[in-house]
Amino acid sequence: MPSVFKAGVRQYREIYWTPGYQPRETDVLAAFRLIPQPEVRPEEAAAAVAAESSTATWTTVWTDQLTTLERYQAHAYRLEPAPGRQDQYLACVAYPLELFEEGSVTSMMASITGNVFGFKAIRALRLEDLRIPVALVKTFQGPPAGIQVERDRLNKYGRPLIGATLKPKLGLSARNYGRACFELLRGGLDFTKDDENITSQPFMRWGDRYQFVTEAVRKAEQETGERKGHYLNVTAPDCEQMLERADFARQLGSPIIMHDYLVGGFAAHTTLSRWCRRNGMLLHVHRALHAVVDRQKDHGIHFRVLAKWLRLAGGDHLHTGTVVGKLEGDREATLGVVDLLREDYVPANRRRGIYFDQDWASLPAVLPAASGGIHVWHMPALVEIFGDDSVLQFGGGSAGHPQGSRAGATANRVALEACVQARNEGRDLAGEGAQILKEAAGRSPELAAALETWREIRFDFQAVDTPDVMPG
Amino acid sequence: MMLETYSYLPSLSEDQLAAQIRSILSRRLVIGIEFTTAPDPYDHYWSMWKLPLFDLDPVDADLVRAELDACRSANPDAFIKINGYDPVRQGQVTSFIASKPRRDS
Repeated sequence: MPSVFKAGVRQYREIYWTPGYQPRETDVLAAFRLIPQPEVRPEEAAAAVAAESSTATWTTVWTDQLTTLERYQAHAYRLEPAPGRQDQYLACVAYPLELFEEGSVTSMMASITGNVFGFKAIRALRLEDLRIPVALVKTFQGPPAGIQVERDRLNKYGRPLIGATLKPKLGLSARNYGRACFELLRGGLDFTKDDENITSQPFMRWGDRYQFVTEAVRKAEQETGERKGHYLNVTAPDCEQMLERADFARQLGSPIIMHDYLVGGFAAHTTLSRWCRRNGMLLHVHRALHAVVDRQKDHGIHFRVLAKWLRLAGGDHLHTGTVVGKLEGDREATLGVVDLLREDYVPANRRRGIYFDQDWASLPAVLPAASGGIHVWHMPALVEIFGDDSVLQFGGGSAGHPQGSRAGATANRVALEACVQARNEGRDLAGEGAQILKEAAGRSPELAAALETWREIRFDFQAVDTPDVMPG
Repeated sequence: MMLETYSYLPSLSEDQLAAQIRSILSRRLVIGIEFTTAPDPYDHYWSMWKLPLFDLDPVDADLVRAELDACRSANPDAFIKINGYDPVRQGQVTSFIASKPRRDS
């Protein structure tokens, strides 16, 4: 009996809710937080996510029968109530490897974070975590250099790197901007940074900025004997101009450039990352736009997923939050992201919001950059939280020093080295941090003035986005 | 010159230097001593003082000190650094200037 095409609509859960499914090693696994509409059963909602992000549309179609859908379909295989919430569930979905293009973050984004986020049957949806199988990881280049190669190139070991974003953000001429860079680098910082707002405005065109800043870097290197760098922002209106700026930075001898990866988009960013690998250039990555996507707990994409995608596409530094500064960032969630950037194998840890084991299979590592409202009093906590493999950025915390940028930079460098020395001697930074800073200030007037200036500045607000409190 | 870790602190005392060496050894790192009379930010290869010191324990800090002193006697005008190399990570992970020329310190 030949069968005929039966048109119509089927419940998603008949095909896509498969609680017995055992995920394969090569599957891409996604953890979603979802709130179904009140009249929609949670299994149906989870199945709808799996269906619409893989093989299904809202109705059966005759062309389904020209293929073997079982080979390509996603499976919603686990569902549990979100801790402490009546209306909210956590669902795991497995996607077969064949659904994704090799070496393509855009392919993963379009599939997994596509239409489903606007689905009427679901009130809110958030991608919490993504397990990228080794088979897919190995199709990506990853960071242009990685932590070890960056340290080897710049000859900086045994401590966090320190930098500062140039302030005021906007309005300096290129020559004055270079002066501000020079003072900070000469005072003891490793890096200075373009603010993300700085691209190529009428008051300071990119080519002028690059030339003055590179002179500042070179002169500070000659006077200190240390390698220095400035993150030259190459974020541009189009890819041709982005690469033109990157190439000019290379010609001037800059060791590092900067890109805003979410604003520029993953296709542009991946192009730039591959260019950096070819040209021996370090890539600092800013994350403007991220909080629009990742801050609300009920809907969007968690930053740990955006960070994983960045490690695949490639970047040598990525901003992760500071825990202690002016910007949002729960401590445990931030430490989870830091692990995902730096470690080669990261086991699941629900207290840090990590749902799946992640094996990076020797993909180079990314330095987490802590930036935003941090100053010398935070140094012991920052060294304790982030350890040596990090970049600590003190913008206002350097240029706001009463004796100016150079003294501010020196204050930060002294505080950093005092904390590292004390840690290596076995002292407890959490308990003795203030004492360690005061001892160092006794021999550094720059640090003493900085400690006096920022004595009372704290940013104690409840984080909006936190991992679930796990029972038990 | 203001180069490398601890260059912004006062020169390490004998006890402080010993503590830093013990800290490197307690991490099971391989210690290397390197020196130069003309530090340059673009120079990755200072002269090695003998081969690196493998398989030391924290109690062997004095042995490292003796090598440092020997290097200093033979090269009184040199900057001398102590490096820690991690064979698991396959790279250098720590480094600091342990001795400066008298004119510079």
